Amino acid sequence: MTDALNTSSAPHIPSRISVQQVMLWVCLTLLPATLAHVYYFGFGILVHWCIAVVSALVFEWWCLGWRKQPVRLFITDLSAVVTAWLFVLCISPVAPWYVSVVGMFFAIVVAKHLYGGLGNNIFNPAMVGFAVILIAFPQSMSLWLPPGGLMAEHSIHFSLTELFSWIFAGHPQDAVDAVTAATPLTAIQTGLQQNYSLSEIVSLPVFGEMGGLGWEWIANWLFIGGAILLYKRIITWHVPAAVLMTTIAAATPFYLFNNDLFMSPQQHVFSGGIMLAAFFIATDPTSGCSSFKGKIIFGAGVAILTVLIRNFGSYPDGVAFAILLMNMAAPLIDRITIPDPYGKKGNTNATD
Amino acid sequence: MVIEPLAHFHGGLVLRHHKQNSCEQPLQNAGIPDELIIALRSNKGHSAEPVVKTGEQVFKGQVIAYPAHPYGAVFHAPTSGTIKDIRTHPTAGPDASPTNCIIIQTDGNDQWLSKDNADSPQSRHDIINTIREAGIIGLGGAGFPTHIKYDHQSLTQATTLIINGAECEPYISCDERLMLDEPEAIIRGTQWLMKAAEADHGIIAIEDNIGGVKSQLDQHINALGISNIGVTRVPTIYPTGGEKQLIKVLTGKEVPSGQTPLSLGIIMQNVATAKAVCDAIEHRRPLLERVVTVTGDSVSKPGNYTALIGTPFSHLLKLAGCRDDIDKLVVGGPMMGYAMPHDQIGVEKTTNCLLALPATATKPEIPAMPCIRCGDCVKVCPQELLPQQLLWYINGNDQNNDLEKAREHHVFDCIECGACSWVCPSHIRLVDFYRYAKSELTYLDIKRAKAQHAKARHEERDARIARIKAERQAKRRQKTARLTDKKTAQQEISAVLARIKQQTADKTDD
Repeated sequence: MTDALNTSSAPHIPSRISVQQVMLWVCLTLLPATLAHVYYFGFGILVHWCIAVVSALVFEWWCLGWRKQPVRLFITDLSAVVTAWLFVLCISPVAPWYVSVVGMFFAIVVAKHLYGGLGNNIFNPAMVGFAVILIAFPQSMSLWLPPGGLMAEHSIHFSLTELFSWIFAGHPQDAVDAVTAATPLTAIQTGLQQNYSLSEIVSLPVFGEMGGLGWEWIANWLFIGGAILLYKRIITWHVPAAVLMTTIAAATPFYLFNNDLFMSPQQHVFSGGIMLAAFFIATDPTSGCSSFKGKIIFGAGVAILTVLIRNFGSYPDGVAFAILLMNMAAPLIDRITIPDPYGKKGNTNATD
Repeated sequence: MVIEPLAHFHGGLVLRHHKQNSCEQPLQNAGIPDELIIALRSNKGHSAEPVVKTGEQVFKGQVIAYPAHPYGAVFHAPTSGTIKDIRTHPTAGPDASPTNCIIIQTDGNDQWLSKDNADSPQSRHDIINTIREAGIIGLGGAGFPTHIKYDHQSLTQATTLIINGAECEPYISCDERLMLDEPEAIIRGTQWLMKAAEADHGIIAIEDNIGGVKSQLDQHINALGISNIGVTRVPTIYPTGGEKQLIKVLTGKEVPSGQTPLSLGIIMQNVATAKAVCDAIEHRRPLLERVVTVTGDSVSKPGNYTALIGTPFSHLLKLAGCRDDIDKLVVGGPMMGYAMPHDQIGVEKTTNCLLALPATATKPEIPAMPCIRCGDCVKVCPQELLPQQLLWYINGNDQNNDLEKAREHHVFDCIECGACSWVCPSHIRLVDFYRYAKSELTYLDIKRAKAQHAKARHEERDARIARIKAERQAKRRQKTARLTDKKTAQQEISAVLARIKQQTADKTDD
């Protein structure tokens, strides 16, 4: 036998999972919720999915070449697809096409690659992209379709051609008024501004039994997808549990104080982006906390900020901002939650 | 005596254990190879000095090297033959690092030097001495000289002896097979070690997936009428056989960082060490051989072989029917073992397993991706460290500063079990980074200590010079002060003049 043997270091047996497989599982578990979205709000999300994924990959490819990184290795890791997917689940399905392109530019180029690429971003790229367009295109973002359900009687009365002309040619004003509706959270906010009580507002057709009509089912599917990620040990229970339980805990006192002004905990959980945040966004390891204690603090922070922004802020939903604010706090939380290792219980001597 | 596990350690992995193939056959004798390559090294490079010369005839059991360091070990000729060469040769350590080796050309007679037939030692001191002279070191892998643990023991504290039969790495089955084939020797060895430690009870810990072993051991313990040794089954979670992890599982206590189990009144030995101790004390037989598992998907006859120390790997691989598709030859287990560049390396006292893997069974050479901070490593780390944070500091740009951060994040508590490297979805070989950081920090510490020593010496010298200078100045000042008084000055001058006159007078006299 010659010196030809492979001498790479341990471990010498194949690993459990790769980054690519992690990303693939995230995509797969987002699929049911996305299909529910299509069912309630039409094919708009699919059109945006295509725009966002293509532009994310183009930006990714461009940045990798520019940063002289191995393009094939990183472009196939599917992380850009996950970013695009999370982004389109947040935006309006009838937003103009450039919303997705601009969003992906800020997500991939600014939030990801300018900070050093995969694993080095401080902020969740999808949330950066979403926050940018939320501020830059408030009009497009507040424009939603009434939840119909593809099979329902009052389903969306426009064809794919109409949808394409909306997304690519802009919204004709009369059609806007005829077809669109507010998101449940926007409805609550504008309703409260017009001095309606919550019980009056939630009788509007955009509301269902637990949250927004359609939205509650998307939330349910996200919950199921998240449960699969938990089962596959891709995420841990700490963040989702902290987000959901803290949302309920933070919303309850307000609701008990005045249930005409403040949404019920159930509304909070089943409307807007909380479920997505709990399982898919606040669980982003790169921009979140790493210790178990840190994860719980991070999730709780996201929930508290979201409830506060929804109840008192000028934006109907606060998930994106809550995530970004907590992203900023994550390094600090990590520093103060260094666990004591084996044999050093009770005398942490890390000084930073 | 029944002792149940008290706790769990944090993290760990459930791995496919791949042990059945090699463990089915009883122990086989590997015979006497033509040549033995004996690496004169134990426990982290503490070497031994040869006491034989090239060309010298040696007999089985003859001492061929004495330790040059208190933590080294005695080496004996495993069989009779002639010393062919003494030179540096690759060994079964990391990177097959070369060290001084004695190469013996065997003669096949297996002739003993002269068998010592003295009575078995009885006192604690004699037992420890016999263990030292038999060249016994920890056979589980770390290779720490066995007698030292008893030398360092404080007898005021009650001591528990734990015999570690929890062979947690996949593929390795040498301890399991030894417990099946030589249970009595292990139990008797345990008794001798308990005597040496003055321990009131002993625990033999085995993993719960090897049920046959427990009944085998229990049966012999009962047959020997022993009441203070118990067999405890611990959950099969990698790395439960790690010393610190096993102590946590059995006692619920944690060995304080930077200390040995002795601080908790615990001594831990491997089952093979217990057997070697029995041989040394009851049969006056030094450590000449050990059981080596030869397994992996590239061998057709996996099994456990009793091999003389120094048996070349090529000899064992041939016995086990190693095929040409071998891609990796690992010494030790797949999680912590070292891949060897070739098979012309001798079995060491700590070599528990030869793992021959084809390319299909090894970890594919995937380029490492950046850390995405997924935290899988945090979940599995049995030492409750933050592996990804350590990587961040070790991989950083500001080298010295960041390495100190790694120390603050307890890099020295890493036991290098490889659990983090195995789960890492980015395929980062994390343990390599920690090994690097540890050696680099140790080097920096030595450098710093030296610099500090030099600085202290320099400061002392400066102080000494200053002191002498000050003393001189004080003297001069005293003198000057005396001379300011005119009368004294006059006296001094006349005294000096008188002295000069006297001297001149003395000179002319001569």
